[in-house]
Amino acid sequence: MPILSEQGRLPNAESHLADRTRPVVFEFNGRQFEAYEGDTIASALYAVGVRTFSRSFKYHRSRGLLCVAGSCPNCMMSVDGAPNVRACVTPVEAGMRVRHQNAWPSQERDFLSFLDRLDRLMPVGFYYKTFHTPKLLWKLARPLIRRVAGLGRVPRDPISGPSRHESRHTDVAVVGGGPAGMSAALSAATAGARVTLVDDQQELGGHIRYDSRIHAGLPGIGTASGFEAARRLARDVEANDRIEALTGATAFGLYEGNLLGITRGDSMIRLRAKRVAVATGSYESPLVFDRNDLPGVMLSTGLQRLIHLHGVKPGTTAMVGTTDDQGYYAALDLLGAGLRIAVITDTRPAFPDHLDAARELRDSGVLTLPSHAIVRAEGMKRVVGGVVARLVDGRTTTEERQFDADIIAMSGGFQPASGLLQQLGGGSRYDEGLDETLPDNLPMGVMAAGGVMGMRGVRDAIIQGRAAGIEAASGHGRAAPGPAGPAQSPGRAVSASPPLEGRLGAKQFVCFCEDVTSRDITNGIDEGFEDVQTLKRYSTVTMGPCQGKMCHKNFVAVAARHTRRGLAELGSTTARPPVQPISLGVLAGPDRVPVKYTPLHRKHLELGAEITDSNTWRRPRLYRDAQREAQAVRNGVGIIDISTLGKLDVRGRDSPALLDKLYTHHFSTLEVGRIRYGLLCADNGTIMDDGTVTRLAEDRYFVTTSTAGVETVEEWFKWWMAGEDTCAHVTNVTSGYAVINVAGPKARDTLKKLTDVDVSPRAFRYMRAKEGEVAGAPSLMLRIGFVGETGWELHFPAEYAERVWDALMDAGEEFGIAPFGTETQRILRLEKMHIIPSQDTDMVSNPLDSGMEWVVKMDKDDFIGRGGLAAAAERPVRSRLVGFVMKNGAVPHDGDAVVDGQTPIGRVTSSRLSPTMGRGFGLCWAPPELAEQGRTIHIRTDGIVSPAEVRAEPFYDPEGKRLRE
Amino acid sequence: MMVFRKNRMWGKHPLRDAYDVVIVGAGVHGLSTAYYLGQMGISNVAVLDKGYLGGGASARSTAIIRSNYLTAEAIPFFRESHKLYQGLASELSFNLLFDEMGRLDIGHSESSVYWLRLRAEFNQLLGVDSRIIGPAEIKKLAPQIDLREGKTLPIMAALYHPPAGVVRHDAVVWGLARGADRAGVEIHPFTEVTGITRRNGRVTGVETPAGRVSAGMVVSATAGWTSTVTAMAGLDVPIVTFPLQACVTEPVKPFVHITISSADLHVYVYQTDRGELVIGGPVDPYSTYSQRSTLDMLQELAASTLELLPALRDIKIMRQWAGLCDMTPDYAPIMGQVDGLDGFILNCGWGTWGFKAAPASGRTTAELIATGRTPDLIRPFALSRFDDNALVNERAAAIAAAIH
Repeated sequence: MPILSEQGRLPNAESHLADRTRPVVFEFNGRQFEAYEGDTIASALYAVGVRTFSRSFKYHRSRGLLCVAGSCPNCMMSVDGAPNVRACVTPVEAGMRVRHQNAWPSQERDFLSFLDRLDRLMPVGFYYKTFHTPKLLWKLARPLIRRVAGLGRVPRDPISGPSRHESRHTDVAVVGGGPAGMSAALSAATAGARVTLVDDQQELGGHIRYDSRIHAGLPGIGTASGFEAARRLARDVEANDRIEALTGATAFGLYEGNLLGITRGDSMIRLRAKRVAVATGSYESPLVFDRNDLPGVMLSTGLQRLIHLHGVKPGTTAMVGTTDDQGYYAALDLLGAGLRIAVITDTRPAFPDHLDAARELRDSGVLTLPSHAIVRAEGMKRVVGGVVARLVDGRTTTEERQFDADIIAMSGGFQPASGLLQQLGGGSRYDEGLDETLPDNLPMGVMAAGGVMGMRGVRDAIIQGRAAGIEAASGHGRAAPGPAGPAQSPGRAVSASPPLEGRLGAKQFVCFCEDVTSRDITNGIDEGFEDVQTLKRYSTVTMGPCQGKMCHKNFVAVAARHTRRGLAELGSTTARPPVQPISLGVLAGPDRVPVKYTPLHRKHLELGAEITDSNTWRRPRLYRDAQREAQAVRNGVGIIDISTLGKLDVRGRDSPALLDKLYTHHFSTLEVGRIRYGLLCADNGTIMDDGTVTRLAEDRYFVTTSTAGVETVEEWFKWWMAGEDTCAHVTNVTSGYAVINVAGPKARDTLKKLTDVDVSPRAFRYMRAKEGEVAGAPSLMLRIGFVGETGWELHFPAEYAERVWDALMDAGEEFGIAPFGTETQRILRLEKMHIIPSQDTDMVSNPLDSGMEWVVKMDKDDFIGRGGLAAAAERPVRSRLVGFVMKNGAVPHDGDAVVDGQTPIGRVTSSRLSPTMGRGFGLCWAPPELAEQGRTIHIRTDGIVSPAEVRAEPFYDPEGKRLRE
Repeated sequence: MMVFRKNRMWGKHPLRDAYDVVIVGAGVHGLSTAYYLGQMGISNVAVLDKGYLGGGASARSTAIIRSNYLTAEAIPFFRESHKLYQGLASELSFNLLFDEMGRLDIGHSESSVYWLRLRAEFNQLLGVDSRIIGPAEIKKLAPQIDLREGKTLPIMAALYHPPAGVVRHDAVVWGLARGADRAGVEIHPFTEVTGITRRNGRVTGVETPAGRVSAGMVVSATAGWTSTVTAMAGLDVPIVTFPLQACVTEPVKPFVHITISSADLHVYVYQTDRGELVIGGPVDPYSTYSQRSTLDMLQELAASTLELLPALRDIKIMRQWAGLCDMTPDYAPIMGQVDGLDGFILNCGWGTWGFKAAPASGRTTAELIATGRTPDLIRPFALSRFDDNALVNERAAAIAAAIH
């Protein structure tokens, strides 16, 4: 039988989110509990009497609900295996499995809670001062510390599925669905803008959803309770077809160019807005007193949420501590929910006669003590009472009184929720009257209104919101519009700073995430961490999961008092995105590692190819045996799918000049129908990429690049064209064409069966190009020989790929045609000493050191890299790229070192077993004195050093006869 | 009972008008230089910083300590620094929270394995513990890694560097500052250098809002603003500044106990003693002094992290930030004297490889100041190498994305 939920509930009210007619059953720590649809996990658990919701980070203290708004760390639990879920804002679902975390064996009895008694051994920064000598001590201590730290547990397998991503655009984005935000949205829409309103709650209304006070003179509404006003505004928003309201959506970041990052359920929205109105309200701050973290001590607004939104009765007797009017509002609500009010302490010197709520409470017989503050909460596992003390000059005296209570409501003023504004570079200034640090110097195109600007009254929030909406829609200026500065609402009184000084042994928490007390902060200051930035880093205050929402105000206040400096002078720490923690899964979006297949991929799979990754492409490495495939190419014919080759179509009057400028070679002089090898250098003369350039017409070239380099080369072309008024167009046609290389002594015999183009040696010579049909496919045929044999690169539209492949395989059958992959190609090209840039060269290699002087035409006026190469030519060479053949049976790996004794003096860039020589061979960088034909070098392979002979000439067909045949 | 005495970490001093040495920048490089100068008996030294102590790149670094570099020039330097880090906590009597967790650089393709092997070979020859391991051993060290075959980016091999670790970046700043202070060095945060004075080809001091300070030697030890500092001395350095972003998750119980890095995915991940997972990536694709983070990079880091460690899908990012990196053309630092400008010493160009170099950079810079001789370890990093075509190519050992 599930544990029923009705006992802790208040009579039904309109503002309640839970639907008491629809019970759902969920599991908590293995037991069944009843909740209602609309409940959050926390409201359901609180209703059945759960008070300890988590264990704290450092001391493992019991923690109960604090903010009931998803801001603080106190209710983080594991839900269906996912850790650190804020139970107070997570709707309960039938069958949900909720567990406590960071406690063993249970939340109520946690073994590690003994740490709490060792707090004097662990003051702020204790770990910096301990375990440093001897080294072994830290090695032993660290794993223990590590096991204690951390909150939830990473599930073995991910819980959530893939997320969805969408991009949207809007005229005006309004963040925050309270009175200011809704008013901003409505006025912007009326002014003609398309508006997107983003709010993290399930229903619009913001803080006035739980505001039962009656407000007079609300613009467009008149006199209404906060709750009614929220209803009215929300109805208008929903009825307005220019406004799209995204509820249950968290705007977690505001980035450059008014880009909002928003999460909603399992999806993420990138919302780009012309202007953004920020109406995110404020966070209530806790009070700093001894044991202010005991379960039962809650923010006053948290209690109001519990009562009005969740219909849950918080307890039976409450003490209320406040620094301004807010405590009285909350006290009235507690009274209304049937609680007894033991006492209200107010840090201000006089009873707030101006305040209806205060008078009403007094008339009901509630004891109110001005010039008093709560100094201690009492109880072991939950609050059973508290002690208040009289204040003199803002400091506590020994004049104390004790009260019994099971709830302590605290209200330490408000802190603007200005994270989004700060992320975009907004400033802040301390407002003495309000005792708040308010946004200042708003970023361009961003408005702000309501609580975030220090407005407390509903009327003022609506007025300022409306003005912000009009401003955002019209797009003028940048200032915060509306009433200049935060208006003093009628009834609003200046707050009085609460006492902050720590008593010896007191546990007055400033930061609930990291268990930082006020004494920790003052100790840090005494040690020399006097500015807020270093103090933050030393004490770790504001660095936990709440990222300062609960603690920033009190942190700065404690520091200011201890250093006797003004809050304005101390400033504040930097707020960084995200405003609310956001899961990696939602950010990552759908699987998105790009992968490209060639149009022949299916063929390769049919042929049983071993597939490898080549940049983002997947292509055959080999089919059966690289050595045998290599033999087939050398003796008969082979074909390889090289569709991954980068391909650029370059056209226009200025394309010859453009290529002359970018490449080290001449291309304006290249005859139509001819091909030339092309090398691209960076400004400093180092090798960037290579490929071939074919002139198809006076003003048209077909350029190939390396597989990995095409995007860079395309960008490089466009970079040098930009702003130059160049009449040239570069189009990346890589995926438009399939490419097959037919190579080997029988390549011609194979090809001639499939085309009318005359492929005889005289008619179709080496480094020439022709267009014609091959196996019915309109093809560009390039006679090139990367692997060192008679061969053609056939470029044709990708849709013909399988047809041409099959035709070639059939035609070559009688010659023993073999498909070959990249591994075979590597061996073959290596025998020809054809380099692969970025494998055989790196970012400091230039063509002079790489044995490619022949490509560099210094007789040209200018080209990119000329200056660098001219300078390089005059300096001594440090290292040269040369060939080597092993003198013994060793076959080095790519990446082995060339050594002199035990000193590395060079490196092997490519190495394989040669099918023609039967030995290990390859290319390496070696010092110039050794990089000469016939010299002996030493290569270290798997720890064993072997001798090798240096070769300056290609290993195979050095004269290139076979290529030209 | 107070178990720990409250001692001030460092003193406050009025700024004097002359010092033997003025160091610009109170980050790890400046403070390390100051600390080692103090150890060598040179204590008439002031470290000036425009902001708070270690508030620039030091505050934003993910503080990985390793020495598995690529070139014969850089490996000995980083090896020395690594060794100094191992003894630094005892030396400073300050726990730097050095966690020698080890590191895996993952290779997803033949070409990335090639670069990793090259590093392993050079590391072994130059006395750095690193080697290539296969998927079976990777699985033993980090079973959380997605080793499934047939993935788009399969895990083929890794460069395993057992002594690699991480330190608490702030602790290094504070420990060095305290050590320098105890040796008599003055540290002046919130004291911006606004000018560098010169006479007859020699730097004579600096200007600050609090007045002119003359100095026998001025050291530029900033990161992120080096070119603006050297410009005050009329010096042009081949540095372009790029932001580098990182993020951390909420704290979770121990999940992975090794740094995992992938150059192909441009991401690295480790877990701190506090339980937070630190995720870092490549430098941004454009040059700027803005230290604001971007949504694009956050998404990219998240996607790359999950590609390696899919179990982290439900773990939440708590904070993202950006720092500035002074990138050099060859991904190596610029150190030592400057031809034609006496009295000015560079300890800069720290890109994405600076934090781990701090002890060695400080000690060699101090040695240079003390002896007037450039130590062999930093000889390859002289500014003149850009004129002499003697670049040190450390690109493949930096995770940084390709930038032109």
